[in-house]
Amino acid sequence: MSIDVVLQVLVGGILVGGLYALVAFGLSLIYGVVRILNFAHGTILAVTGVAASLIFARWQLSPVLIFILLVPSVFLLGAVFYRGLLHPLERRSPLEATIGTVLVTVGALLILSDVTAVLAGPTQRNIMLRSPVIEVGNIVISVTQLAILAAIVVMTLVIHAILKATWFGLAVRAVTQEPIAAELCGARSLQVKTLTFGVGSATVAIAAVLYVLTFPVDPYMGFGLTVKAFTIIVVGGIGNLPGALIVGVLLGVAEGLVGLFWGPEWSPAISVILLLLILVAFPAGIRWRRG
Amino acid sequence: MKRFKHMPQFLTWLTGITAAIATVGFAVSTPANAKIGSCTEPIVFGTTISESGPFSTLTSNWRKMTEIFAEEINKEGGIKLASCGGKSVPLKFAIYDDQSVPATAVQLYERMASVDQVDFFVGPDWSSLGGPVPPIAERHGIPIVMGNVATPSLYQRGYKWVWGTPAPAVPRWSERYFDMLTHVQPKPQTIFFLTHDNPVMKAITAFWSRKAAAQGLKVVGEETFSADLKDFTALIAKVRGAKPDIVYLSSFDNPSVPLVQQLRQLKVHAMDVHHTMLTGALAKQVGNDLEGMTGELTWFPSVKGPYADLFDRVMQRTGITMFDSIWTLARLDSYIVMIQAIEKAGSVDREKVQKALYKGTFKSPAGDIVFDEHGFPDTGAFTIQMQNGKVQVIWPPDVATAKPMWPSPTWQ
Amino acid sequence: MNRAVFAVVATIVVAGLAVLPLLGAPYWTTFVFSILIAYVLAQSWDWVAGEMGYINLGHYVFYGIGAYAFAIALSSALMPSVPLAMVIAVLVVAIVAAVLALPLFRLRGDYFAFGTLALLPLAEVLTNNNTWLTGGADGIVLPVAHVLQAAFWLALILAVASFAVTLVINRAPFGFALRSIRNDEEVAEVIGLPLLPTKIKALVLSSLFAGMAGAIQAWQMSYIDAVTVFGLNVALVPIAMALLGGSGLRWGPFIGVVLLAGIQQWLLVNITMLQATVYGAIILLIGRYMPGGILRAGILRGLPWLAPLTREHGAFVADTAIDQVVSSSAVMSAEMPLDRIAPRGTETPLLVCRDVAKAFGGNRALAGVSFNVAQGEIVGLVGQNGSGKTTLFNCISKVHSLSGGEIRFSGRDLSGLRRDQMAGLGVGRTYQIPRPFGDLTVAENVALSLMFGPQREIPARALTEARSFLAYAELDHRRDVRADALSLQEKKLLEFARALATRPKLLLVDEIASGLTPVEVRRFVDRIRAVRDDYGITVIWVEHIASALNAAADRIIVLEQGQLIADGPPAVVFRDQRVLASYLGAAEVVE
Repeated sequence: MSIDVVLQVLVGGILVGGLYALVAFGLSLIYGVVRILNFAHGTILAVTGVAASLIFARWQLSPVLIFILLVPSVFLLGAVFYRGLLHPLERRSPLEATIGTVLVTVGALLILSDVTAVLAGPTQRNIMLRSPVIEVGNIVISVTQLAILAAIVVMTLVIHAILKATWFGLAVRAVTQEPIAAELCGARSLQVKTLTFGVGSATVAIAAVLYVLTFPVDPYMGFGLTVKAFTIIVVGGIGNLPGALIVGVLLGVAEGLVGLFWGPEWSPAISVILLLLILVAFPAGIRWRRG
Repeated sequence: MKRFKHMPQFLTWLTGITAAIATVGFAVSTPANAKIGSCTEPIVFGTTISESGPFSTLTSNWRKMTEIFAEEINKEGGIKLASCGGKSVPLKFAIYDDQSVPATAVQLYERMASVDQVDFFVGPDWSSLGGPVPPIAERHGIPIVMGNVATPSLYQRGYKWVWGTPAPAVPRWSERYFDMLTHVQPKPQTIFFLTHDNPVMKAITAFWSRKAAAQGLKVVGEETFSADLKDFTALIAKVRGAKPDIVYLSSFDNPSVPLVQQLRQLKVHAMDVHHTMLTGALAKQVGNDLEGMTGELTWFPSVKGPYADLFDRVMQRTGITMFDSIWTLARLDSYIVMIQAIEKAGSVDREKVQKALYKGTFKSPAGDIVFDEHGFPDTGAFTIQMQNGKVQVIWPPDVATAKPMWPSPTWQ
Repeated sequence: MNRAVFAVVATIVVAGLAVLPLLGAPYWTTFVFSILIAYVLAQSWDWVAGEMGYINLGHYVFYGIGAYAFAIALSSALMPSVPLAMVIAVLVVAIVAAVLALPLFRLRGDYFAFGTLALLPLAEVLTNNNTWLTGGADGIVLPVAHVLQAAFWLALILAVASFAVTLVINRAPFGFALRSIRNDEEVAEVIGLPLLPTKIKALVLSSLFAGMAGAIQAWQMSYIDAVTVFGLNVALVPIAMALLGGSGLRWGPFIGVVLLAGIQQWLLVNITMLQATVYGAIILLIGRYMPGGILRAGILRGLPWLAPLTREHGAFVADTAIDQVVSSSAVMSAEMPLDRIAPRGTETPLLVCRDVAKAFGGNRALAGVSFNVAQGEIVGLVGQNGSGKTTLFNCISKVHSLSGGEIRFSGRDLSGLRRDQMAGLGVGRTYQIPRPFGDLTVAENVALSLMFGPQREIPARALTEARSFLAYAELDHRRDVRADALSLQEKKLLEFARALATRPKLLLVDEIASGLTPVEVRRFVDRIRAVRDDYGITVIWVEHIASALNAAADRIIVLEQGQLIADGPPAVVFRDQRVLASYLGAAEVVE
């Protein structure tokens, strides 16, 4: 098998992996700060993706405009969802809070998928952009793919910068690492948590628009992505975005290579096997040293 | 207690639901069917549609279509019964959502058999449901004509009451396409099979890769992919390495969307790329990428077989097209076959209808449906090609709407 | 009386259900059949979740494996026999569960939940790709057999068995073991519970029932494929049902299953769109307003006619226990049911610590500590906060493993032993910050030590005997209170009673008297001495109150920054300059 075949697979893997990572960012933020496992996380991508493709089909808006339209709305919905339905559970006993969040997020998942299927139809959709391709030797990359890759890199940098340089980022990092101390130091936890839930959801919305530019979405597809995103944050370290990006890309590439050398029908198993292996080796997730 | 502030409304609501279940759900509903031999009450077909859950992506608008189908049949009088002196009896459907879950479907068919007391069963789809549902029909002795259940082994279980109208049937799926391949110039030498991991699609590949070899095409590759796969780069890299003349995609339409797009993006060259489900759903998602591809279509309105006008009207009123919803023909076929069987039997007597169905031949817009002794049909399909954004039938030549463009210019 | 009523009602209900398939109502039969299967799944899931506190989101995998094992066995060429296939299914599920338990139980909390959830897609991929065994995506087509009646009865038997097992578990030491794990598995192990075997047993038991449910379902459906038994859209439903009713409650899974299945069926039949939304909304609202499950909602608990359904398990157990306590022992004395052994000094020391070292990362908490403790001694262990006292206790009770050196107890090298074996050898301990099993009663807390201890006492007897230990610790009047409702001082007394109930030879007491009034401290000193004088128990006592140790201890050992700096009689040690500088200076600060 020639080297450019492998390189081609790498390009595809990096693209998919980058999208996985974007989905994982949101989950990582939310899990790190709010300690809630949002089962509906991937479903937000499915729903936003469907919405984006509908908007595109109806008005032919540019993806950037769709972005500007959808991302703030999802931010708001995320924040409201947290404030209205999840935050009140924190007053309960730890067991009740856990069970309550599971039920609420699973319920939300069902509702989101079903309402979307009824409103938009259950069929699969995507956004078709005709874009020229660039050929480097035997390797082919489309301009859309390049743009998506660029967007993933930019988004990672932006989120990273927000976490490093703003009050919100500081609060998020503080709450992720030392919840009680952070509260004592004045990081108002409710406000931070609400913002985080909004930002985490908005990140998925961003991922959704990029996703639907390359791959089709349907209202029921979200949960598989949630599992992948969780794999990524467990392996990459909770709250560690660069780690999530690296692991996401590695996961995407691994899926591609397994498809190449073993058989594409085994690709979906990779993330699960990876998750189980890592968890068994590091039962509490991996804690990377922060440099 | 602040946290109980909202409790009362919620509880009222919950109690309401519980009460509703108690009164409505658990009370035995009134049967809606015709008494056998009655010539006034409607004949009831019981069916489930996967309106929610994983398979719902394939059944858009079917409930509406089914209701309109009954309307159209009844407009022309209904179902003719010899036992009523040639008088027609209206058709009615009992429709439920099986949620794509076999256990739910089983409950619902039991319900239709014993609570709703429908006369006949039509239409469940997919192997997942085609496995557990027929035994219910067997036990109750209710004839069932299933829709899109295409796995042949599911029919070979010694049933007496079970038929199906999957279209096309696996052994006839690409018959016309492979016939065409022996006639085109230049003659293709090699073929590469890409198969969606699904029982029907795998059966198609298994059957047609043997046929290909038998007619002198060299099979240079066979790969399987799962429905979740989004990044097909690895698969396509293998195709490019094998340089086949024909790329044969044996796949449902939706899972292959990224595959088709990436085949284009990665500039695969071939004489033809063939898709076993070249549908409107696919076209909507990949657009121009479909140009020049060949595929199968079970039926299209310009083939004016029996009932073609009826089907066309039903689909137009529902707002769906054959090309958009390729599974629709098998669905409607299951209805129309059951109606013909009843008319042939001349009564709603299930035994007589069963006899009429056994190894029977029935009319359908796409040609005759002939059941074998297992209740499996022999439906074929037409070979089509996307030419300038339009679906053209290119084989067999006697019904073709256009000549095949060969080799397909878009894959050069 | 109540139990008799229950037995009658239960018999009538079960008998009524048993004749259902004969009534010619196949719809109701299939509907109830699906409820029975869902109940078995929900209830067996709850043994691991509600009782043991491990949220196994992959429970459905065992259902699927059972279904597949049954279908493969039944369709194989070797003598297709349904009972044989059932047996094979049960065996396969048991083996898979036991093997999976080892890696899975390395995980805790959310990680366990997600690790188990990941099993579902994995199982689906494996099933689809190993066509030679499973038929791949074609599924397995079984011969058509009209077995609804038989399958229904099997499911009924299995459901009744699930309920019976729940009842039995609640009374058996096994159930107490599960509940202690749910509360604090480290403490459970320290008082003598072999942790991993218990968890494996729980998972195997729970998956056996799920596997049998799967086998029965496969038999009835006569066809299975991977989506049907491993699909995420169906896998979480039984769990949602159990949570909805009230996980960990005797009637929780049952009520949840009946309610949710009923709602779902009603929606299916009566609503033509948005059923999933309504269904989702019900789950969401219950999660939001009654996260402990419907049966734990305050409003339902207030309804007297619902009271029997809403009680926690503990309430049932307390019933039985009290019955028997009253009948078996009338008077509680402040005598513990321990052997009275005269303290004797022997040649070979009971505990030998040689060069004991423990490092956490780069931090050396213990840096080569050596000392002996003779049988029957009371040794005071002092040192500043962070000097390594608690770490030393943790090393002796095997909560930590050593970084260097060795510890011998009764002449036996402790390396390679588990925590529960330490309890068996006779090392009991208290925790500086009390760690009671919060949602068990005080009496149950102590009874657990007796159940897990060398005598493996049955719960009724253990609960009776527990009262003696509680009386000894002057806590008997609080015996029926939930342990997390105790005051800090009471919790410390509970720690003491619980440690004594492990029947230790060596008792490690960690700051039990801090915060007591001088009078109380004196009483405690007497108690510690009595423990030694009357029952021959050797004691190592960590305490900051010098006067107490002075009065109680035969010997004082002083630690400073992980090193032993003094070892001798109180009179000598408390005059040592270095000790005064290091320790007594600090003691002023400590309240």
